[in-house]
Amino acid sequence: MDDLFVKPGNQERGWNDPPQFSYGLQVAGSTRSPLTKRGPPPPAAGLQAPPPCGDPSPDQQATSPHLHGITPPPHKMTTPTHRITPPPSGVTPPLSQATSSPCGSRLPPPPKGGPCPMSRPPSGPDSKAPCGPRAEPDPQPEPDLQAVSSVLAEALEACRQNVSRQVCEDIAKRLRLLEDSWTSGRLSSTVKRRMNALTLEMKSSHWSAADDIHRSLMVDHVTEVSQWMVGIKRLIAETRNLSPELLAFSPADPVQPEPVGN
Amino acid sequence: MATFPEFISQNEERDGVRFSWNVWPSSRLEATRMVVPLAALLTPLRERPDLPPIQYEPVLCSRATCRAVLNPLCQVDYRAKLWACNFCYQRNQFPPTYTGISEVNQPAELLPQFSTIEYVVQRGPQMPLIFLYVVDTCMEDEDLQALKESLQMSLSLLPPTALVGLITFGRMVQVHELGCEGISKSYVFRGTKDLSAKQLQEMLGLTKPSAAQGARGQQAPQPPLSNRFLQPVQKIDMNLTDLLGELQRDPWPVTQGKRPLRSLGVAMSIAVGLLECTFPNTGARIMTFIGGPATQGPGMVVGDELKTPIRSWHDIEKDNAKYMKKSTKHYEALASRASANGHIMDIYACALDQTGLLEMKCCPNHTGYCYMVMADSFNTSLFKQTFQRVFAKDEQGTFKMAFAATLEIKTSREIKVSGAIGPCVSLNAKGPCVSENEIGTGGTCQWKMCGLDPSTTLALYLEVVNQHNAPIPQGGRGALQFVTQYQHSSGQRRIRVTTTARNWADAQTQIQSIAASFDQEAAAILMARLAVQRAESEEGPDVLRWLDRQLIRLCQKFGDYHKDDPNSFRFSETFSLYPQFMFHLRRSPFLQVFNNSPDESSYYRHQFVRHDLTQALIMVQPVLYAYSFNGPPEPVLLDSSSILPDRILLMDTFFQILIYHGEMVAQWRKAGYQEMTEYENFRHLLQAPVDDAQELLHTRFPMPRYIDTEHGGSQARFLLSKVNPSQTHNNMYNWGQESGAPILTDDVSLQVFMDHLKKLAVSSAA
Repeated sequence: MDDLFVKPGNQERGWNDPPQFSYGLQVAGSTRSPLTKRGPPPPAAGLQAPPPCGDPSPDQQATSPHLHGITPPPHKMTTPTHRITPPPSGVTPPLSQATSSPCGSRLPPPPKGGPCPMSRPPSGPDSKAPCGPRAEPDPQPEPDLQAVSSVLAEALEACRQNVSRQVCEDIAKRLRLLEDSWTSGRLSSTVKRRMNALTLEMKSSHWSAADDIHRSLMVDHVTEVSQWMVGIKRLIAETRNLSPELLAFSPADPVQPEPVGN
Repeated sequence: MATFPEFISQNEERDGVRFSWNVWPSSRLEATRMVVPLAALLTPLRERPDLPPIQYEPVLCSRATCRAVLNPLCQVDYRAKLWACNFCYQRNQFPPTYTGISEVNQPAELLPQFSTIEYVVQRGPQMPLIFLYVVDTCMEDEDLQALKESLQMSLSLLPPTALVGLITFGRMVQVHELGCEGISKSYVFRGTKDLSAKQLQEMLGLTKPSAAQGARGQQAPQPPLSNRFLQPVQKIDMNLTDLLGELQRDPWPVTQGKRPLRSLGVAMSIAVGLLECTFPNTGARIMTFIGGPATQGPGMVVGDELKTPIRSWHDIEKDNAKYMKKSTKHYEALASRASANGHIMDIYACALDQTGLLEMKCCPNHTGYCYMVMADSFNTSLFKQTFQRVFAKDEQGTFKMAFAATLEIKTSREIKVSGAIGPCVSLNAKGPCVSENEIGTGGTCQWKMCGLDPSTTLALYLEVVNQHNAPIPQGGRGALQFVTQYQHSSGQRRIRVTTTARNWADAQTQIQSIAASFDQEAAAILMARLAVQRAESEEGPDVLRWLDRQLIRLCQKFGDYHKDDPNSFRFSETFSLYPQFMFHLRRSPFLQVFNNSPDESSYYRHQFVRHDLTQALIMVQPVLYAYSFNGPPEPVLLDSSSILPDRILLMDTFFQILIYHGEMVAQWRKAGYQEMTEYENFRHLLQAPVDDAQELLHTRFPMPRYIDTEHGGSQARFLLSKVNPSQTHNNMYNWGQESGAPILTDDVSLQVFMDHLKKLAVSSAA
């Protein structure tokens, strides 16, 4: 799942810069209900939606003099006693910093084990990836430039019959840029893998899927790909307009198909 | 019948409307005594993926002064094939296509569930979307590089047929020709002299001769579908990518102690002129990206001497803001030209200092739902993602943005419309339903919104005109119809029609039912918009006094109390949250300018008056959630008593998402318990608010700032400044008890505020 990640914002340049969501995550949309509820009505005092007292019927509520009036919110929250008690004395926190709590007493460690009631269950399938920079997963072998560029070159050749020379030259120029970046090691393996996936989609004439991968690369890795990606974009657009017989991708190809995000 | 809260939420979901009152006082006099005016918050394009697209045109009432759309409230005579307009009672013949109509064969627009319906207009050309980028080049290389990349990226998000154009500026303004020959060519203009549309047309050799201004209504000739400056993305994406890639910092030298000369005013004027000449009355976005203030030419907001800082609130109060009036006038003129042609003006300002949003605010405010974005740098996720989300798509795969909309309102005879507050301009359409008393943008029953999205919300203020002691109006219900015509992002013209009605009640005998129908959330936002509007022209303390006065009057009218006995004061549940909203509103950046620059205030107010009720309410009274070992996350009071050592708090102020680790949690975190396997649950506790925060960040537009802080952290101030200071250094008796965190402030707490309110409300002297 290369395409689902959250990377931290640019704290150097932006004050409290928010994290950045990948294209895949942005398209996936939200899976949980939004947090828009307000504080609950405290039982003791009801400024926020006081519970009706004496249970008047709904139509009486408007005028009922028995209703709670405006009283300030409580100084204490509902359960002021939820202090965490330290675990049995046998268990000493192994970390020495923990001993210097400002009140002078030892810092009681958090309660151990047990169920974790504090996170909201997602209301849909969990598509979230852990936040923060991820270690680059590298289970598959690095895709081969030859495989990628041969598909692109074939597509370009097919285009040459219908598309103006100028445009084809422009595309060719960008394909060379791609090859240069690839061979000189300026492309990350994520970009390489997604380019491989993109060309596989092109080969199977899945233009929308290929276009979507191009978009995800532009959004997530614009610095690496901005110079040449527009050529790929154009190539996808031009080849999808071609009649299928002009497109004869060489069938034998060593590249293994790879599951793509959509 | 359902309860009022259910009724309100059903209506909001179906029609995108919330009223301050859901039972209406039947006379003018009684309506004015309600304190909170009869008004509506309307979200014209609220997302309704379930709405079927109706492929024919609406049937209109034949009376020339009415022209209301056939709707479920109309009475229909199926045998005579007649319908009676519910607004003017005119009897209308159905058009020939409706001959098959009967009780069992009704068109969708007569079915009660289609009180909101959307028509897709088939006639007229499909217009392309137009995006004109106006790019500042006076910025650091890192910023410029990031901006260039974002712009290149945007070409991948635009539909292939969209037209794009590029204007860059520094000391000079360059209008780039987007040929396909691989040669870049541009027209250079001086940044000190403004150009009229006509001059620009001649200089750029634009081909559209017909007068752009005032062409509305008459049939303008088909404009050329592109010209040398605005070309389809699919045709010029490669050239434009290169052109953007080659953009350099403004080459003019900037000497020590000077600001770069930035001709923003002229650049925007040329952008407006270019579209005015070539695509009048077509949806278009002018997207301006600035890294600093305009420093020369018309529209300049500060001189180029760094030793003279840009105006502050202090300067404005002392009438010492040299350029403010003149530049405001310049941008207002541009905004009115742009809005007359249906063009949107977005501003993306990324700089640490102010950039002149105060002067330019009319551009986004008058041209509809536009984006005024404020970030520190273009190389931030805040800018990049906000910009990406401009191009977000809905479930059908079309942009969420809509263009060149007009909103028209029709009313029953007993109601007139006083005006609107929100991102719109008046179309000066007089009619029988226009009130003489103006509120906001008034004197009209039609408004233009050049751009809008599913959350754009207008506040519409109404007036009951039925005379006192007159009987309850015919039918017992008052009705409103909102007709929004707009250009969908697919290029189609669409018409969204919402027809809604509420019961009348005699306020002298049925005041309880009117009181029970009060929608305190809507009322809070409707009053807040009035206050924010006042704040633009009046002194801050005057606005607060006005707001307080209204609140006291509301308490006097609807509270239950004995004269001069504050302790006897009771407020029913329907009103119980309202005082608290007002308390937080008084402290909000929408009314308090302290600690905010004029640009920041403009920005906050700009966002406040366009978002829907839920978002606006978050801005007024932020949402606070608590995470602890004691159970699942729960919403807690926005109060200092909620700040406990063993809790993590998540606060959403709309502009900021903040995570605050209580004292003990922070120490545990510092001690690294989350790393230890036996304290895995602590790691989960730390992660839970982060996950929820990401969910908020994921959906919010514009992107908020994200703050991770803890007890004693300097950024905890954002939390401390928002919570109700129920414990302060002044009432220290609570110190040492585990019941919250005292706030070092002299601000009044909600408790004190409420005590005073009660005293004033029950006072016989008031």
